[in-house]
Amino acid sequence: MAKVHEITVWARGVIMDKEGRDVINIFAKAAQMDGKHAQAFDNYEDLPDRVLVTVRKYVRLSDEEIEHKYVYTNDQPEVVVIAEATIVKGIDVLLGMKKGGTLIINTNRSIDSMLKFIPNADLLSTIATVDADGITGVRTVDFSGSEGGVDESGIGKGIAAPIVGAIAKVTGMIKKEHLAKIVSDVSGMERGYKEVKIKKLG
Amino acid sequence: MAKELPGYGTINVPKDREVPFGAVTPAPVCTQNLFQTSNWRIVRPVKDDEKCTRCLICYLSCPDACWIYKEEEDMMEWVAGFCKGCQICINECPTGALTAAPELDFPDGVVRLEKPF
Repeated sequence: MAKVHEITVWARGVIMDKEGRDVINIFAKAAQMDGKHAQAFDNYEDLPDRVLVTVRKYVRLSDEEIEHKYVYTNDQPEVVVIAEATIVKGIDVLLGMKKGGTLIINTNRSIDSMLKFIPNADLLSTIATVDADGITGVRTVDFSGSEGGVDESGIGKGIAAPIVGAIAKVTGMIKKEHLAKIVSDVSGMERGYKEVKIKKLG
Repeated sequence: MAKELPGYGTINVPKDREVPFGAVTPAPVCTQNLFQTSNWRIVRPVKDDEKCTRCLICYLSCPDACWIYKEEEDMMEWVAGFCKGCQICINECPTGALTAAPELDFPDGVVRLEKPF
């Protein structure tokens, strides 16, 4: 079996549930347009229907068919995406990561000030920040809930668009051309791709 | 005292913890340390002791009993470990003594967990 790349997205329950879900869905769709095999899972385990509680969303990516279908949690994430920067203070977001991982944070603060809140930052090889709140100017698009059955606002509005743009630039796992076909807010995605700040660590 | 609850079996309530149905107790007698919710917070309330009149409206409005009145010092005390940052106290404060400050401005105050909870 080929290597499976695991990507975990952290967001806040209810107020950013749609945004987190959009990031994984866009990521998986763009990877599939590239001919890769991808799985995207909204979380189930962390009781996501509570305001502000931290929730996880998962994507898996592989060149061959992914065989473990029924376990959806990512035990060894390679890339961790934080949709709201305060999460790094309260959670060990790098739990299970092997050395040489990537962390992408949505914040307007400096990378060094974020590193102060991550005691196990030696696991990282790349850290990046993108000011998605500043680019889109809106934090919550709608409160359509975890089910997603009544999501009328379109995939990739709000902070999800700059975040996926930043992921494409930092990881190189997905292509910007494919993203432009999926997201509603293409200019936000382009700005996220351009304005992401990347720092390589040791 | 052993108490028979229909459908639940018998529970042992110590004599000093016994209260009548519908009773109001002055403060939580203990904190549930297995359910720390401080990492739900994006902003935290910061109080200005000059403006605070000790009216106790924050104490009444907090859903998680995160404001405690310290009688000896005549001060309100904020419980960092359980405040979820809902900002109800900030909206309810009649004198504007509470303001919301981003949590990342402070180095501590959040219990760091391995899993969401």
